[in-house]
Amino acid sequence: MKQKKMTTRFLASASLLVLATGAAQAQAVSCPIKLGGLAPLSAPGTVVGGEAMRDAMKIAEADINAAGGVLGCDIEVVIADTEGLPEKAVAVMEKLITQDGVVAVGGGYHSSVGVASKGVADARGMPVVFAETWNDTITSDKHKFVFRIAPLSSWASATIWQFALTVPGVKKVAILTENTDYGIPASQETAAGLTSGGIDSAVFSVDIGTQDYAGIIERIKAEAPDMIITLVTGEAAYNFTQQAADAGIGPLDLPFVTGQDALESGAYWRNVPDGKHAFVQRIGVPENLFTEKGKAFAAAYKAKTGKADVESYAMEAYDSIAILAQAITEAGGTGGEAIVEALENISHDGTLGRIYFPYGTKKEPSADGKGDEWWHQWPDPALTMIQFSEEGQSSSDAAIVYPDAYKTAEPIFVNQ
Amino acid sequence: METPIFFWGVVLWMTLWGIAGSLLLHRRYVARDMDPSNATLAGALAGAALGPLGIGALWARTPKISGYLTGALALICLALLALGFRLADPANSCVANGAFVASQISNGIIIGVIYGFMALGLTLIFSILGVVSFAHGEFYMVGGMLVYYITKVWFPDMPPLIGILGACGITFLLGAAFERLMLTPMYSGKIDRPVEYGILVTFGLAFTLQYLVQALHGASPVKMPRYIDFPTITWPAEADPVWIKASRGNLELFETISISNPRFVAAVTCVLVLFALLFLLYRTWTGRAMRAVSQDREAAAIAGINPDRMNMLAFALGGMIAALAGALLVQAFSWLPQVGAIPALRSFVIVVLGGLGSLPGAFVGGIIVGLVEAAGTGCIPDPQKAASYIPAYGMVVLTLTLLLRPTGLFGRRFAGGAHGKL
Repeated sequence: MKQKKMTTRFLASASLLVLATGAAQAQAVSCPIKLGGLAPLSAPGTVVGGEAMRDAMKIAEADINAAGGVLGCDIEVVIADTEGLPEKAVAVMEKLITQDGVVAVGGGYHSSVGVASKGVADARGMPVVFAETWNDTITSDKHKFVFRIAPLSSWASATIWQFALTVPGVKKVAILTENTDYGIPASQETAAGLTSGGIDSAVFSVDIGTQDYAGIIERIKAEAPDMIITLVTGEAAYNFTQQAADAGIGPLDLPFVTGQDALESGAYWRNVPDGKHAFVQRIGVPENLFTEKGKAFAAAYKAKTGKADVESYAMEAYDSIAILAQAITEAGGTGGEAIVEALENISHDGTLGRIYFPYGTKKEPSADGKGDEWWHQWPDPALTMIQFSEEGQSSSDAAIVYPDAYKTAEPIFVNQ
Repeated sequence: METPIFFWGVVLWMTLWGIAGSLLLHRRYVARDMDPSNATLAGALAGAALGPLGIGALWARTPKISGYLTGALALICLALLALGFRLADPANSCVANGAFVASQISNGIIIGVIYGFMALGLTLIFSILGVVSFAHGEFYMVGGMLVYYITKVWFPDMPPLIGILGACGITFLLGAAFERLMLTPMYSGKIDRPVEYGILVTFGLAFTLQYLVQALHGASPVKMPRYIDFPTITWPAEADPVWIKASRGNLELFETISISNPRFVAAVTCVLVLFALLFLLYRTWTGRAMRAVSQDREAAAIAGINPDRMNMLAFALGGMIAALAGALLVQAFSWLPQVGAIPALRSFVIVVLGGLGSLPGAFVGGIIVGLVEAAGTGCIPDPQKAASYIPAYGMVVLTLTLLLRPTGLFGRRFAGGAHGKL
């Protein structure tokens, strides 16, 4: 009797084990494998950036599926419109996880989106590789499931203020920033960096998506700046740059750093016809130094979009999906913990170069004397400043003027 | 601010006495069986401007409250605020830099003219149909998009003027068709709650237009180049200061007032079209018929005017005015399918401020909102807050208007069936 009971228990346990294993296998091979892709596709988000990221993530999906997919399945990138708003970001992250059934999330443009949605992802054990969200706290909060391949805001700001220190004759800089999780810390870091070099600054803050800058431009003119730095995203930066040009303090009048969305040079020249000589920050090396994968992506992206340029955020978006696909393959399943472990050990040949994450659960950043923002952070994004030297010029053809390691031409200072 | 106590002290003084004045004077006028409709505003202004003296004088004499009286009291209030601000922050550009002040005032007036022009369309629709069109911002957006598509996509190198006229024509037809198809049930007695129906159906139109444009065009911003480049001149060449200095994108007067080309062109066009609109309303049969319908539909119908036709004309004209504002500003701002949201909100504020159904009120309200926004952006000492609060300035104006004079500056209480007086 006792033996019969034990046999029954053994069979029941074995059945449960088989069922559990089957369920696990079913989860691992549930096809297609869905990945979330965050992008701002409506105002007040930066639609120009969002559309570029969406196109890039769809190219990644096609490339991965053409190469045989992941774990024998095709992948499907479920694009989610964040509108650049934190509250929307939380909602779409919840939706991706609970309704769309994604197993990991890539993309992300606005810092406020990353800041707001990272907690949701982490609480639900959803691996995320943020592509273009710069705010330092996204990684410095040391969430187990959150990774980033974009540069830190503090690094990006440092490139701009260090460049400003090289501009001759600059004593005062006007900084226009958006009051977001990107703009506020970036303006503080930039102002502090300028102060360290003996340059005064005046910071002006606006809402994301602001259209009319007439009043603020008068205030900037009253400060008589020698240089203007724009830390505003999307069409708001286009509006400011052109309105400043109309008012006589644009890129044709004084050294002027415009928003990063000028990298989509078609939209930039359509919206800022007086934008010649503007400086723009760019992430990634110049096109002639692209990796083989970068060159292949650039060709596919240009063919798909008809653009002359490949924006750095498009490359980051592509890599965020590709790196997740590799991590799932190496994890052998779609469990969040396994994907995180794979990401922490990954060496991914991406369009931006070799991507890896030196710090995480196995090694704290403090072990090498680094700050917490290095947690799950790719340490090697190249940061450059380019300058448009001709009207209608493609951002890919624009000269790299800073830093010296990548410089292709000397900067033109219009007021010298 | 160096000594904020001065400014906030003045604000506190004005607020307390303003509240006291509005409450006391309203009661006083009611008790004496006089028209109390302006007493709240006049009492608030008298209290804020002159404290107990002002309230006492009005209390004792209870004069008929005229526009001159309220205007004079409002100016004293502004002067007090300016004085408090000057004492608190003497280095602020708003009190220390005359050129800056002149530029901000000109900016405020110019953008205010454009705001007011857009709000005219909303007023026109409300005064005749009794409908607050929630699709007004979308007509504005469609106007800008149409100019871009006509002159850059469908017929490249077409002159901008043709694009603007085309945008006006298309939006006029769109407005007329929508009114015929969707708004006629309001006045045919087919529905129980026509006002709510009108609001909902124009909301529907707003969403339809916005998402249709997004679906057809995408959400990438577009912009028109300047319609006209200013000639590069300096006149007189030897004068100091130079009276007029123009470059292709900017006009500078007396080396003090700086006006950007797209705004200048838009504002001048708005003023010209305003005169044309006034001519239509006051010098043509059609305009008189529209005004008659706005005052009394039944009486107008008895006089042989077809109110339904006037409804259609008013909605089409109102939509076209918004579209024209958009067509003029697409050279100033980057244009997206969502670009109409804030201008529409601002138009509602202006219409309430000016008085529902009042054309002069809409225009004056637009200029006031433009000036308030310019003052807020220019004067708030913290540059990190000044521009961030732009949408809030209009809301402050709206709140004060609703508190002190719910009928607006030029508004009146409406008789049954009438929504305003053009």
